[in-house]
Amino acid sequence: MILAAAGWAGVMLGLASSIALAVFGFRALRRPDRATRGQLQQPVVGMVTGAAVAFITLEIALLTDDFAVSFVAGNSSRATPVLFKLTAAWSALEGSIVLWIAVLAGFTAVVLRQVRSVDDRLGVGALAFMGLVATFFFGLVSTVANPFEVLAQPPADGPGPNALLQNHLLVTIHPPLLYLGYVGFTVPFAFAMSALLTRTPGVDWLRRTRRANLVAWSFLSAGLVLGAWWSYEVLGWGGFWAWDPVENAALIPWLTATAFIHSAVVQVRRGILQSWNFVLVLTTFALTILGTFLTRSSVVASVHSFTQSPVGPALLGFFVVVVVGGFTLFALRAPRLASPDRLESLASREGAFLVNNLLLSLFAFVVLLGTLYPVFVEAFTGAQTSVGRPFFDRMAVPISFALLLAMGVGPFTPYRAANGRLLWERLRPALLAGSLVSAGLVVAGVRSVAVVAVALLATAIVAASARQLFTSAPDRRPATLFRILRRQRGYWGGQVSHIGLVLVALAIAVSADLSERTTATLRQGESVEFGGYTVTYTGNETIQRSHRTEVAAEFQIREGTDVVRIAGPSLNQYPSQQQAVATPSVWSTPREDIYVALTSLEDGQVSVNLYRYPLMWTLWAGGLLVAAGGFWAVGGSPRRRVRDTTPAAAEANAPASSDAGAAQAVAVLSDPPAAQGEGQDRA
Amino acid sequence: MPDRRRVGVTSALLLALLTVTVVGLIAAGPGPRDRVAELEGQLRCPVCKSVSIAESPSETAVAMRRSVAEQVAAGRNDAEILQYFEARYGEWVLLDPPAQGRGVWLLVLPAVVAVGGLALVLTRARRSPAVPELSDGDRDRVAAALADARTRRYQDEDDEP
Repeated sequence: MILAAAGWAGVMLGLASSIALAVFGFRALRRPDRATRGQLQQPVVGMVTGAAVAFITLEIALLTDDFAVSFVAGNSSRATPVLFKLTAAWSALEGSIVLWIAVLAGFTAVVLRQVRSVDDRLGVGALAFMGLVATFFFGLVSTVANPFEVLAQPPADGPGPNALLQNHLLVTIHPPLLYLGYVGFTVPFAFAMSALLTRTPGVDWLRRTRRANLVAWSFLSAGLVLGAWWSYEVLGWGGFWAWDPVENAALIPWLTATAFIHSAVVQVRRGILQSWNFVLVLTTFALTILGTFLTRSSVVASVHSFTQSPVGPALLGFFVVVVVGGFTLFALRAPRLASPDRLESLASREGAFLVNNLLLSLFAFVVLLGTLYPVFVEAFTGAQTSVGRPFFDRMAVPISFALLLAMGVGPFTPYRAANGRLLWERLRPALLAGSLVSAGLVVAGVRSVAVVAVALLATAIVAASARQLFTSAPDRRPATLFRILRRQRGYWGGQVSHIGLVLVALAIAVSADLSERTTATLRQGESVEFGGYTVTYTGNETIQRSHRTEVAAEFQIREGTDVVRIAGPSLNQYPSQQQAVATPSVWSTPREDIYVALTSLEDGQVSVNLYRYPLMWTLWAGGLLVAAGGFWAVGGSPRRRVRDTTPAAAEANAPASSDAGAAQAVAVLSDPPAAQGEGQDRA
Repeated sequence: MPDRRRVGVTSALLLALLTVTVVGLIAAGPGPRDRVAELEGQLRCPVCKSVSIAESPSETAVAMRRSVAEQVAAGRNDAEILQYFEARYGEWVLLDPPAQGRGVWLLVLPAVVAVGGLALVLTRARRSPAVPELSDGDRDRVAAALADARTRRYQDEDDEP
């Protein structure tokens, strides 16, 4: 009762503060002489306090089994283990919006720190837009998604969280990571809108949102990988990516955000693509809202069910407001802010960036189309249709190969204009290494075109990065090399992410073409031969736990006569659910994963699906490397970063453009990071 | 140039290795088609969330897989088998909407976006003025200056303000 009231008070404080932030922010833009920084600071403090109170109250209510609070009654139970009580906060809609506002308040506080005075019109405008966004989400929590409703007759116990969401540790970190990513994109959005509203030209808004954007992107990358890992380790269907609308909803903004990271570099370095960057930032933010709408209303299951909860229409309405409002402002202001410069040659770094943007945007569009197609068909004709893996794979595979090619060429191409001879010189050793590996694989008997092609490109990309590092260093001592990695964080963070992606591509190709699978029904003591192993069903045991009943089958995996592994996949029965949840047993080695998933278990007979995935670890390692590259690019001391945030310094950093011959000479004779210096760092 | 021979050797080696790769892959040809697996991947499991019957452990999916295998063994072609399931479960069961009728949009729209985007990118590029080639003397001077700057920069690093 007290907790519900405290939580509600927190939400109200946050709502009032968000409105105040938006009002004072916009007023400060109109009448800067009457505004003070305190008028902005107090609302932000209020927002953070309100969101923190709401979130902490929710957690306390969950931990103390306060079933008078509606969210606790609906999503927790006395028997739920403490860890899963904590994570129950984001296991359902209302609680996850509370997490959302907490993260949003945190990002707003970070933006406030940048805004030293009300003369900083760009920053003040950004705060005002963040206030608007926060008003919507606090409004959502206080009305249609209120977790703090007081139940007059509290139940004695609750049903507990969704069984799938209390089955594995990964669920404790995957959603918060995803939200840190999703919500983080509010910062570049707010700055972009502010730049349009205050008519601030140039790259200031890009420089000031670089950190927030990279942090958000890195968290979203990590969230996607852990989501895939969770799917693989928990759901037991033997795969890691189903092209499910929920997964796509997180992938699409990731793709446009990735495009933005690249095109932002082009604008900072070369002064072009200004309008395009506004479009990408607006789109990315709108897509996070659309994604939340798709996953949080049941519109994907059926168009007609999304109005069951008013949250669906609210999110859809906000999405429409963002798109219409954002693009109207863009259409009114962007032509005046757009850069007059144009691309000099497609055969250049910025040309490669443009190709990358085209591919990533196309990728995002295709995934969006496939996700929304059934929704639109049902809305217009009433017919139920599906779009699944065959469509997505057919579209994604060629686009991904093209992206890998761009990844192999782009980072090693100079800005402005490249010639073929230079590229050939830089890429020849890498291609040699790649073709050595591909020829080796073919000779060794690998017959999958996809695996061989990805291996070639992967090796070439890694080799080209290594060559780049060695040629830009004055000597080869590890300390020198590390210093280069540290001083050109933008470039080398990007390369680390590229290498991570290459590992991911390799794992996807290998799992698609070189995996094995079999289904077996075994009585106790019977065996099946699989992937060079003998798998024997030796019995099962039932374990009674506080929140579930586990029936674990035991399988001996033998190689020759040695028992190399005991696998114990289980079926978990939760009191609140009829269907048992299967937990697969995954045996990971550097060479391969052996994946054992139960499908049924009755009187002495089991049915199992067995999968063998070679080199599966590269998927998780690669994915985490992608995120690590992003964080590497963020790192570094802010002191150095602040030094040239002024447009003048950016100009000074860019290669002199008047003397085309000299610039070309520098491009021919040097490697990009060394010649172009640290501007890249902050790109 | 002194290293022209080396360049020639690496180029020849590269060509040889790529030939081995391509010829090897072509000689092996595509593996035998697993029609059953392909069809399983195209049919949606009626009781699961957005996975095909190939990926689902549910009993319905097991029964459908058995049916697919039987029909393939009986010599029915892919279209017939897909129609059989469409008739029983509706269009919903097809994970890959046929490219007729409204399904055409799934091909046309990406193509339009791809072509439009490509056109936009190509028109953005402006003809660049011909850049004069540098003389060898200039080249050497730039190289020397760069080498100098590079060493100096990394030596001075700790002194940076």
